[in-house]
Amino acid sequence: MMITRRGCLGSAVAMAALIAAGPAFAEGAPFKMGLLVPGSISEEGWNRIGFNALKGVEKELGAEVSYVELQQNPASFEKAFRDFASQGYNVILGHGFEFQDAALEVAPEYPDTVFLISSSYISEGNVIGLNTDTSQPFYLMGVIAAKTGRKAGLVGGMEIPPIKEAFEGFTNGVRSVAPDFPVSEVYIGNFTDATATKEASLSLISQGADFVLPNASGATVGGFQAAAESGADVKTFSIFSDYTSVAPKNILGLYVADYARGVIRIVGDIKNGKKPATNVEFGLKDADVMKFTYNDQAANPVTEDVRKYVDEVKGKIAAGEIKTRQK
Amino acid sequence: MEDVASLSFLAATIAASWRLAAPLIFASIGEVFSERAGVLNIGLEGVMLAGAFAGFAAAFTSGSILLGVAAAITAGVLVGLLFAFFTITIKADQIVVGAAINLLGLGLTAFLFRAYFSSAGKGIEIAKPVDLPWLSDLPFFGEAFFRQNAFVYSTLPVAALAVFVLYRTSFGLTLRAVGEHPKAVDVSGRSVALYRYGAVLICSALAALGGAFLTLAHSNQFVEGISSGRGFIALAVVVFARWSPIGAFIVSLLFGVFYALQLQLQAQPVLFLPYQLFQALPYVMTIAALILVRNRVDTPSMLGVAYKKS
Amino acid sequence: MANSESGQPLAVVPQVYGALWRGLLGPLRTIIQPAAAVIVALACGAGLLAFNGYEARAVIDVMVLGVFQDTRSIAEILLKATPLILIGVGLCVAFRCSIWNIGAEGQFYAGAIAATAVGVSFDGLTAWIYVPLVMLAGALAGAAWAAIAGLLKVYFRASEIVTTIMLNYIAIIMTSYLVTGPLRDAPAAYPQSARLVQEAWMPRILPPTRLHIGILVALALAVVMYVFLFRSTRGYALRVVGISPDAARYAGISVPRNIMLSICLSGSMAGLAGAFEIAGVTRRLFQSISPGYGFEGIAVALLANNNPIGAVFSGLLFAILRSGSELMQITAQVPQVLVLVIQGIVILSVVGFAVLRIPSMRPSE
Repeated sequence: MMITRRGCLGSAVAMAALIAAGPAFAEGAPFKMGLLVPGSISEEGWNRIGFNALKGVEKELGAEVSYVELQQNPASFEKAFRDFASQGYNVILGHGFEFQDAALEVAPEYPDTVFLISSSYISEGNVIGLNTDTSQPFYLMGVIAAKTGRKAGLVGGMEIPPIKEAFEGFTNGVRSVAPDFPVSEVYIGNFTDATATKEASLSLISQGADFVLPNASGATVGGFQAAAESGADVKTFSIFSDYTSVAPKNILGLYVADYARGVIRIVGDIKNGKKPATNVEFGLKDADVMKFTYNDQAANPVTEDVRKYVDEVKGKIAAGEIKTRQK
Repeated sequence: MEDVASLSFLAATIAASWRLAAPLIFASIGEVFSERAGVLNIGLEGVMLAGAFAGFAAAFTSGSILLGVAAAITAGVLVGLLFAFFTITIKADQIVVGAAINLLGLGLTAFLFRAYFSSAGKGIEIAKPVDLPWLSDLPFFGEAFFRQNAFVYSTLPVAALAVFVLYRTSFGLTLRAVGEHPKAVDVSGRSVALYRYGAVLICSALAALGGAFLTLAHSNQFVEGISSGRGFIALAVVVFARWSPIGAFIVSLLFGVFYALQLQLQAQPVLFLPYQLFQALPYVMTIAALILVRNRVDTPSMLGVAYKKS
Repeated sequence: MANSESGQPLAVVPQVYGALWRGLLGPLRTIIQPAAAVIVALACGAGLLAFNGYEARAVIDVMVLGVFQDTRSIAEILLKATPLILIGVGLCVAFRCSIWNIGAEGQFYAGAIAATAVGVSFDGLTAWIYVPLVMLAGALAGAAWAAIAGLLKVYFRASEIVTTIMLNYIAIIMTSYLVTGPLRDAPAAYPQSARLVQEAWMPRILPPTRLHIGILVALALAVVMYVFLFRSTRGYALRVVGISPDAARYAGISVPRNIMLSICLSGSMAGLAGAFEIAGVTRRLFQSISPGYGFEGIAVALLANNNPIGAVFSGLLFAILRSGSELMQITAQVPQVLVLVIQGIVILSVVGFAVLRIPSMRPSE
């Protein structure tokens, strides 16, 4: 019954070859990587970062890649992992902590597949967490904010670990310079409503914040628009992608996360038979992954003194001498 | 010093409220037309998305916001025609068709956005705030009311025009009659279907404009699902406003106030309350307001009912 | 109204033929219409794909055939269909009473919250007690959340369309509060609840697949609700209220009581769906536990013409489309949002065909 069903499909569906191949996928077969993202890859933000990593692996390691968007639907996670694993994918990246449970469930059945989980600290068998410690660059932004401004405002999408950690780092950075420096946080409650990010930022600015930092995936851009419309005195920092064109006068610098670099490195190792022994944490020590640069076109560019101080702090963070957040 | 700070805070809140209300004002006034004629269009969310996308797409390719507006209205009218054809000509259930329009709006805009614009990265140049001579320089009032962009200002004439059309023209009179006593309209020799088509097209054109506001005048980019439920809120606004355009304007504004307020209250760390409490504020207040006003029954009596000539 | 019924005695049709017509062709024609609608929708989807440069044929093949690969993928479809069927069946009851409950999404969340709260709290209960307890908690919470809208309608004449929409937002925001606050899993940094106690997990009925008893409950409730709506006097009274509240009042039927009954029944089903999702699938509460089941459920009920048995099929159809769309993306990189377009066209085609006088699928009143 099963065999005829498969035979049937074989003539009709191109993918049948993949199904029939099953787990016995070894030498000669192309190296394959799958990606699960919780939302849409079409917007600048979290999901795009995962997608770029996938594309990087395709380009640099010559892997066959595919992805699936799961619309924040936990019920689909397990099936998606299984769909990829049963088609002989060697590496599957679940882009977000929420994929951890499902990966742990599926992984024992597919010991030859490596399950990578973004923003997770897991390390159990073939399930490996990858975390970009965003609290580190945000710590630096906090230092800059406290050195150059009067009050800081943070606008988050939802209260999830990558965003909470970033904001914790920022606040700690601020405190390290000026313990009484005011920092406000606002959450808009989603990752799509760019207008809400904009209004929340404007509201913070009207309450005296002169350093606003949006962090809401696809909706982030609204924060930079708010800064641009509020005059050159309002400062901000471009995060994850380059938003300089939106607010060229306000953006003091860029923190660009090249997560792809990190993922390519790890997946390259896996391809060569070296599975990471434990979970991986990218930080300022990984200069290829975290790029922290300044924008000299800003109306009030960061002064040399401050840059020097920031570089010092950066060195200490990379060396592990400063803890940017509680672990 | 403190007083000035709180005054400017108030001005900023008022300005933000109006901006946040603008898309709701367009969509809910549109819905007032449609529901007054007896057509319940729950597909507002889908129409708004169509408008937001078409407006963005046209403005992005042409660089002109005016063309964006034209494209948004065209898209709205097209979706409106689809809705009207099914609900008025075919006499299908309005809620069923509305639900389908919502699905289509979300799906198609997201699909097309990916196919043609997702790698574009950059946004568009959005409508700039228009300073009005003298008025914009007024202390307090200037910041609160007169530093908006053309879209926000236009909510006022749109509301006024809606009142005029609905209550001062024979078109409006007949349109309202179509929602209450379609048979009488029919007997007097006018086409119920034609008036309902008109109402639905006005509705979807306005809703699309509300959607276009999001991409052309507030955020500079299209994001999948950018309307974020505003179409549903607009439906609520219409009921709350008792099917009056002025009411729709005021209730939308009220919603804007609560939304602006919640964003500002969240930012007060001294309150030590979970931020979700503030997020829920607009919705809780809407329910509270409904209880306080105790809605009279002034629903258009033929709302949701297809008209069949006998 | 009911023209097939009144038309029969006129013609000299033999009883046998009538029985055959009803027994055989009846079910057939209820299927023809949705089937044709699906074909039209898939054709439109294929057109859209071809227009945008995809291999339309292969994609549709994958979508239609791929989902029935093996037992596991069929089980996954049933798993996805469970909440859709439950919510859809519940909404059939509300819609039959003309209560426009747009709040199934919020009621689903309410059920999920209650199931989590109960499911993490007790130790040492046997599954025989714990599983029904979790289900009960979900159903009660869903009913209670819906009852708010019902009471507001009965006592304040507040439109349930408005209140249920608002209650959706409130329930979702409440979930966000609970998983970042009181229900948060203490050792983890993630905004999610602790795992449910194992005895509270829904028993699986087809290991190693994830299919759990929820689907059986959903199917049983579909039948129960069908019988209730169309074969019981209470159900009849509820439908009378839906068709004409004035007539109901005249006939001595309590309108408020039926409003409360219908909205609470539909709320309890959505809440139960939430409990199943927690205790059967995710085993913890997350911030966004539903990808919009509550809204999709509206389409499920409407597509079935508010017939609970029909909702089983439309729920299955939507689950197949969703499953197919995921597979389609994995194998052909087609954006999943296409499934929304296809769902929309399915609905429009169904109402379109209804006009072409293809015998309607409306159950005889």
